[in-house]
Amino acid sequence: APAVHSQSTIRWRMQTYAGAALAEHVIVPAINSFNKIAGERMQIELFFADQLVPTGELFRAMQRGTIDAVQSDDDSMASPTEVTVFGGYFPFASRYSLDVPVLFNQYGLKEIWEEEYAKVGVKHISAGAWDPCHFATKDPINSLADLQGKRVFTFPTAGRFLAQFGVVPVTLPWEDIEVAVQTGELDGVAWSGITEDYTVGWADVCNYFLTNNISGAWIGHFFANMDRWNEVPEDLQELLRVCMDQSHYYRQWWYWGGEADLRVNGTKMELTTIPDAEWAQVEQAANAFWDEIASESETKARIVGIIKQYNDAMAKAGRPYRYT
Amino acid sequence: MPKFIVYFVKYVDAVNYRVGRFAMYGIFVMMAILLWSSISKTFFTPSLWTLEMAQFAMVAYYILGGPYSIQLGSNVRMDLLYGGWSLRKKAWVDAFSVFCLLFFLVVLLWGGFSSTAYSLEYGERSPTAWRPQMWPIKVIMCAGILLMLLQALSELFKDIARIRNVEL
Amino acid sequence: MSYELIAILMFSTMMLMLMTGQRVFGAIGAVAALGAVFLYGTGGVEIPFSAAIKLMKWYPLLTLPMFIFMGYVLSESRIADDLYRMFHVWMGPVPGGLAIGTIGLMVLISAMNGLSVAGMAIGATIALPELLKRGYDKRMVTGVIQAGSSLGILVPPSVVLVLYAMIARQPVGQLWLAGVMPGLMMATMFVIYIWVRCRIQPHLGPVLPPEERNVPMAEKLRLLRAGLLPLAIFFTMMFPFINGWTSLVESSAIGALTAFMAAVVKGRMTRAVFETSVRQTLAITCMFMWIILAALAFGAIFDGLGAARALENLFVGELGLSPWVILILMQLSFLLMGTFLDDTAMLVIVAPLYVPLVAGLGFDLIWYGVLYTITTQIAYMTPPFGYNLFLMRAMAPNDVTLADIYRSIIPFVAVMLLALTLVMVFPQIALWLPEMVYSK
Ligand code: NA
Ligand code: NA
Repeated sequence: APAVHSQSTIRWRMQTYAGAALAEHVIVPAINSFNKIAGERMQIELFFADQLVPTGELFRAMQRGTIDAVQSDDDSMASPTEVTVFGGYFPFASRYSLDVPVLFNQYGLKEIWEEEYAKVGVKHISAGAWDPCHFATKDPINSLADLQGKRVFTFPTAGRFLAQFGVVPVTLPWEDIEVAVQTGELDGVAWSGITEDYTVGWADVCNYFLTNNISGAWIGHFFANMDRWNEVPEDLQELLRVCMDQSHYYRQWWYWGGEADLRVNGTKMELTTIPDAEWAQVEQAANAFWDEIASESETKARIVGIIKQYNDAMAKAGRPYRYT
Repeated sequence: MPKFIVYFVKYVDAVNYRVGRFAMYGIFVMMAILLWSSISKTFFTPSLWTLEMAQFAMVAYYILGGPYSIQLGSNVRMDLLYGGWSLRKKAWVDAFSVFCLLFFLVVLLWGGFSSTAYSLEYGERSPTAWRPQMWPIKVIMCAGILLMLLQALSELFKDIARIRNVEL
Repeated sequence: MSYELIAILMFSTMMLMLMTGQRVFGAIGAVAALGAVFLYGTGGVEIPFSAAIKLMKWYPLLTLPMFIFMGYVLSESRIADDLYRMFHVWMGPVPGGLAIGTIGLMVLISAMNGLSVAGMAIGATIALPELLKRGYDKRMVTGVIQAGSSLGILVPPSVVLVLYAMIARQPVGQLWLAGVMPGLMMATMFVIYIWVRCRIQPHLGPVLPPEERNVPMAEKLRLLRAGLLPLAIFFTMMFPFINGWTSLVESSAIGALTAFMAAVVKGRMTRAVFETSVRQTLAITCMFMWIILAALAFGAIFDGLGAARALENLFVGELGLSPWVILILMQLSFLLMGTFLDDTAMLVIVAPLYVPLVAGLGFDLIWYGVLYTITTQIAYMTPPFGYNLFLMRAMAPNDVTLADIYRSIIPFVAVMLLALTLVMVFPQIALWLPEMVYSK
């Protein structure tokens, strides 16, 4: 917290993974609500991607208290925990954005996350589902062969998974992506759904959108430095939780409606599809990838087990939960 | 000047000269990496490591080269007033204002140690598909900042000597 | 402490420290460090080093050493000598022709490197002595070289536009193309000024004596070939880049290699040239990088303390000024700051504050990048603080006094202000080319 202001108001600095354009939807409304309600008692100052510290240093900055709170997925801020690979887009773990809150609240992921982050001095406040992971590229993708050699901005874990199909994963500062596509550093992005492609301007530099996705919903979170969290009175802690959950709720309808609308009415990108039979190879590869991850540690095995159990239940439940 | 200081200046300048001369050829390392990147991209599959490796090379280049660039006097100063002063007056003012520089370098080094300790403790890897360990570059950065700090001290001693009409 | 007070405190401390003549990066870094330790609060001490990591991730900065190296190879190896001979012979018969030829030379040099330093060095070592020997007015000559070399950062490739691109998150390719027409327009305006001035006052730029003018046509045509080299270097670098075959940083390495090979093939890459180019590249790159590092740390602290927001509120909210007034105030503030602040530092510290404002006011950021660059060029040349002034002072012969140098730039600054106004009023001068090339 800043040293220069009077101590009566609690002041937090929060940095989000999102740049200004995206933040307008995914975080600014929730912070505005919080600040309006908390008033003189507490104010959160919001900073965008890489504004105070680079994303690579984000976790450490929160752990040390340089940043009081963070909105990010585990994967892109490289949190030093057992759960890192599952944040962001763990391939094919979820199909719909409702899968994520169910996994966290009914299948026990919440407790695992809280425990893992407490070990490294960080409070895990809230997990939510964000958008699906699709390819947006300069050249069309109609088959798996078209993925060969594509330099694509994506999440570390998704990149590790996609590398077997010839994708060359590239990680750059989020704000530089649009420019990097134009300057030839990238051939495309596999980082979001179509709503985000349009919102942040990637649709202006990419010509094609692949309707197949490798994940139906991103897992993202709100975190805080543990000491800072403990200093906040209980009612304000509650208000923080509520506002953060409200932000997840906003995403539920914003993405769900946006994805469908832009596929149908969007004019900036042409849709392409890899046939289901061929895409099944990617889904199969995900099973092998899950097992590979599960073999890395006990905690990871536990989480993979939960994801499997959940997806089995969904498959058995049939329509409308799963159609294949 | 005390013997200790004379030796300090001599050795710090000598070490930084050699480190700087070594770092100087880093321009060809960066060039080679980026050329390989263009070639591999055009004729084979693009390499995962080139851009990040070039960034590491760049950081090593300018941080390790920093002290030598001070020796070369290439760090621009605002010489509106400074330009008109005598050598002795410059030495006097520098002998005080160099503490600004020292303070900046100490804070930089502090953060550097803390960040390096973190990467060693947690085995931090860069969140990219290549996933290189982060501690080697951070260690290089800390070493370079430390050398920069020593060079700034050496400049301070040289200024003090100049004030006392001795040339170190 | 209020946000406004913090902003004022940090800026004034920085000015004060710069006044001491301490190295610019030390002065800026010290304010950042003081703010980090005493004002920021918990964990602030980590921020300066975080800035170093941020700097590492700014990949377009890799072009910086490449373009600097290119510039030194070109100036040190004197492969520009033939170019100068070409302009000398072709333009000699015209009043002020050698000065006009020097502008032409500067345009070609600009197309091969990203800073104004190389143009300055080549102008001062090759053109300056020749022009003085032939009775050109020394103020005219030093003005021509300073003005001409400033084209280096407007005609692509341009390091300033790379830095701007990173801060404004705009595509470098489009920014570079946007600089082409204003750059050529400005060069043309310089030429018109020189020609008119030398028609009225022929003693400023006398016509070459007949014995030097009477060069056989065959020889004249042979000299034209010298112009092929810069074009070749320009196209090996720019063609794969504009076509998307190589990325920006890769292209810059190709450019550096091409310039190096050209010097080797022409037999000019001696040991001494190699040593100077490699050493000076390190020296200048270090200067730039340490300033950017300090300025990034300053920026993060300034931002983290809420001072950046205070400035924005002041401009847009409280003063309630119209967009154009704000834009013009910004340009004026750049000129003002350019009189005492290092240009790179100015870009890294001030542009992050201004760019969101400019975007918020509804202006085009590509166009603003060109405006910014022209303003920077003017700041480069206006006393007391300006790279071009420093370089000219260092490189000019002794009979060119500081007063001469200061006075020499006046008409050229006037021409540049006119060019700046034209680009402000007619944005299409900048935007036409990128829109044509990049139209989807
Ligand atoms: Na240029
Ligand atoms: Na100036």
